[in-house]
Amino acid sequence: MADTMGHSATATRNTKVALGFCLLAIAPQIFELIWSIGTIFGWGTGRGPTAVVISHATALLAGAPGALIGAASGDTKKVSSEVLLALIYSYPLFVVAILTFFMTIRSAQDYVGGVVLMAVALFALWAGSDLQGMRGFSFGAGTAPRMFGGLLVALSAGIALTGLLTDGPPMAHYSWRGPLFVMAGILFFALAIRPLGLVVTGFISFMIAAAGSQETRWLEAAIVGACLTLGCAILFPYVLGLPMPMFPRFLAQ
Amino acid sequence: MELFANLAHGFVVAFSPINLLMCLIGALVGTLVGVLPGIGTIATVAMLLPITFGLPPVGALIMLAGIYYGAQYGGSTTSILVNIPGEATSVVTAIDGHQMARQGRAGPALAIAAIGSFFAGCVATVLIAVLGAPLTKLALAFGPAEYFSLMVLGLIFAVVLAKGSVLKAIAMIVFGLLLSMVGSDIETGASRMAFNIPELADGLGFATVAMGVFGFAEIIRNLDAGAEMSRDLVQQKITGLMPTRKDLVDSTPAILRGTVLGSILGILPGGGATIASFGSYTLEKKLARNPSRFGRGAIEGVAGPESANNAAAQTSFIPLLTLGIPPNAVMALMVGAMTIHGIVPGPQVMQKQPDLVWGMIASMWIGNLMLIIINLPLVGIWVRLLRVPYRLMFPSIVIFCAIGIYSVNNAPVDVILAGVFGLVGYWLIKHDFEPAPLLLGMVLGPLMEENLRRALLISRGDWSVFVMRPLSAVLLAVAAGLLVLTVLPALRSKRDEVFTESEN
Amino acid sequence: MTFIRALTGACAVALASLGLVAPAEAQTYPTRSITTIVPFAAGGPTDVVARIITAHMAQTLGQSIIIENVVGAGGTTATTRAARAANDGYTLITGHMGTHAASVPLYPKLAYHPEKDFEPIALLAGTPILILARRDFPPKDLNEFVTYVKANTEKLNAAHAGVGSVSHVSCELLHSILDIKPVGVPFNGTGPAMNALVAGQVDYMCDQIVNAVPQINAGTIKAYAIATPERNPSLPNVPTTVEAGLPKFQAQAWNAMFAPKGTSPAIVASLNAAAAKALDDETVRKRLLELGSVIPGPAERTPEALATLVKNEIAKWTPVLKPAT
Repeated sequence: MADTMGHSATATRNTKVALGFCLLAIAPQIFELIWSIGTIFGWGTGRGPTAVVISHATALLAGAPGALIGAASGDTKKVSSEVLLALIYSYPLFVVAILTFFMTIRSAQDYVGGVVLMAVALFALWAGSDLQGMRGFSFGAGTAPRMFGGLLVALSAGIALTGLLTDGPPMAHYSWRGPLFVMAGILFFALAIRPLGLVVTGFISFMIAAAGSQETRWLEAAIVGACLTLGCAILFPYVLGLPMPMFPRFLAQ
Repeated sequence: MELFANLAHGFVVAFSPINLLMCLIGALVGTLVGVLPGIGTIATVAMLLPITFGLPPVGALIMLAGIYYGAQYGGSTTSILVNIPGEATSVVTAIDGHQMARQGRAGPALAIAAIGSFFAGCVATVLIAVLGAPLTKLALAFGPAEYFSLMVLGLIFAVVLAKGSVLKAIAMIVFGLLLSMVGSDIETGASRMAFNIPELADGLGFATVAMGVFGFAEIIRNLDAGAEMSRDLVQQKITGLMPTRKDLVDSTPAILRGTVLGSILGILPGGGATIASFGSYTLEKKLARNPSRFGRGAIEGVAGPESANNAAAQTSFIPLLTLGIPPNAVMALMVGAMTIHGIVPGPQVMQKQPDLVWGMIASMWIGNLMLIIINLPLVGIWVRLLRVPYRLMFPSIVIFCAIGIYSVNNAPVDVILAGVFGLVGYWLIKHDFEPAPLLLGMVLGPLMEENLRRALLISRGDWSVFVMRPLSAVLLAVAAGLLVLTVLPALRSKRDEVFTESEN
Repeated sequence: MTFIRALTGACAVALASLGLVAPAEAQTYPTRSITTIVPFAAGGPTDVVARIITAHMAQTLGQSIIIENVVGAGGTTATTRAARAANDGYTLITGHMGTHAASVPLYPKLAYHPEKDFEPIALLAGTPILILARRDFPPKDLNEFVTYVKANTEKLNAAHAGVGSVSHVSCELLHSILDIKPVGVPFNGTGPAMNALVAGQVDYMCDQIVNAVPQINAGTIKAYAIATPERNPSLPNVPTTVEAGLPKFQAQAWNAMFAPKGTSPAIVASLNAAAAKALDDETVRKRLLELGSVIPGPAERTPEALATLVKNEIAKWTPVLKPAT
């Protein structure tokens, strides 16, 4: 419960939470950077990492303030999407992060939940910022996303406020093992189903996912995994008639 | 009476050995499809469509219809046992059904779902036969303005069904609405929030998000350190398989109300069945003496919505049979099946193809009978499945879900997205957000936006259409009333609740 | 007799598509089953045409033809996939007017070009387009319709089944001929659009004959004209646009089969021959005619004729659809 938490504990947590929000504020930029590393090895298309870093850094440090000043002085030239991201998404979150330092969080669960949801809403606003708005009396493609994006910003701010004004549960405990291995299993399935086929992929994904629990007994899991894969290999393509690659591509040819 | 002659004719057609067999196959496949997470009815009917080309048309359609309503029976099973709704209509079943399973009452939950569905199916079948033609007018009376108001009402239902904070429930709905807007805009074709990912061009699939926030998230949560205790408890305290007398008494009014609601809303094309199941839940919660039981394993919360969605599944055949217009994607596939057989459904299909129409109506009743005979004994087997150790169960569910999601579009990206939504769902659980309103927002979002825009296009931007059209005005008034009823007590009891809330 | 043949034929295809029929003895082509991508949902007009014709082609070729329905983005997702598939003759696509012509102006970022990325095989069928209106729409014939629509453009609502759909692009053509820009009300598919027309919530639409015939016969909607040179046997009372006084409005939702670019001419020739044979089969013809389709004559079935058709169609739709997006 929140009221059992000492004051100093709240203070240290606040710093952590605020730093977390700062990280969240530049999460899309970081994500694009990680993604862009792939281009070095020739995977995917897009800009290289250096280009990403430079464009976002300039947008965050120079472009966005410039655009703000420009807007204030009535200058309406088109701004780049990096600048928009900084303006719509990163800056508001930085503001929230700074405010967090000075707040007493009474329910971290609600407060953090509200702020992260707000980040999602701001991100959606940015993602929909290139869409057309109202065209006369008819809605444009961007009208509804903006409407609901704005509404979600307001609602999530409300939730965050609840976290400040009323007592509630603190942050819940997250574990890493379950999510990690289950996600790894899913990811492996997605990447391998086409080249390796259902039989191999199903079994390996089963084993990866099984590693998510410390109770797993390997021999037992292997036997069940094999039976299940066999069952699926009969059930899905033959009984339900779903077209699905069965065996690795190199074996089939 | 012409009706009895028609029905008698229908039963003669439906009782022919080949059609009985088709009905049974349809019911079995439907149950299987419903039970398997991720495999949707649309995908299965689409896959099985070619097989029906070799069959006589009546048999083929009886089978496809069987798959469709059979999946409604099967869909509740996964919702109750493992908290994975395969269809939008069974999202609401998962709420109380899974809680019942956690309390060792999976048997009664499954049984009451089957019984409710059977009753609703029978009533709705009679309704199609007797009132099919007049009820068609209802489907035609619903224009864009009425649909928009209905969707608003549907979203209010989602607020009511939330057991925690109203604010959070509304936020989840809006989050769902935003998610539903990913993909091509219907009016301009512009790509919205899709980041040039081709798989997102047509939006996020319901199965993808549902498997993520319900299925994968539930698994991850159960793997948390400290969660073993509650899991093992579930396995040990399984009590009776069949509902007790008290359960039946509690459920009967819910089943009746669910059937009525489902039968009416099912006729409306698109989203009718979903709103029916959510609406039934809301109705039960509002009428209950002790609404706090809902969300914690109230049997009415299973009986009502399950009856409603099965009734809706049956009555959704009405527009198809009387107008020849398919009200949803599965029905559109059935129109395809008819066209391939040289039957083009239209307003005159009842006169021109009496074998087909009345045979199908009779077969629905037979199919429902078969389904309850199949499903009640299966309850024992399903419940036994819960005794499988979780360490073996969870990787199996992961694989089933992954295959299911992959099979919808043969798209690996969908599987990854479901994984991402699994993490989102895990985060939602940790912050005490409920996933059900999110899913409802996602399902109803596109319908709401489309109809809002359509209504405004037709009225040339005049917002008063929503209150000037009587049906629309009534729906909006009900929605507003319901919202007030929900928000007021929530505000009043805020202070008391704050301390009790943290125990969840 | 024909019924039994149809039944056994259909059974054979059903079994073959399940992979239960042993492959015929090895030939040069095809030695294994062929996949035809249909860029729309199973049961839709394109799917139905593809299934009827490929069922017969499979018999001729001695190999099963599997239909894979890949939906999304007005069929362009599937077409992109087909364009990138191996050009060994085992992956084909049954495209239509939208995917292989109208998509060019509609989607500026299209990942394929209908002419450059595909080898045309054969035109399979044409589906005439009708001008439809709600039952109580005032004009009595097409001439009155033209005058009325031009005079009341501001008040009228034209329904269509979504951007890029046949009903959308053909209505755009009609509007460009009439030189008007009425409010287009989009629906999510033909079903809901037809529902709104039957219910009188919208005024008129252009749509394919398949969906409209039963409604016209039942009198729930009315048809002003059919946009083909000849009247259609399933709607003998509906005049053509030529007869009714709007000869410029000619539109057909054609379906045709394509292979990825670089597929060998021998394979294209054998597929074309199989398709042509299917179009001469009595049962196939009967089923296509029941759908209201127009079956291409011998001269229109060649790959060259299809190449010309695609070229002409792109030229026809580009000016109509370009300003719309």
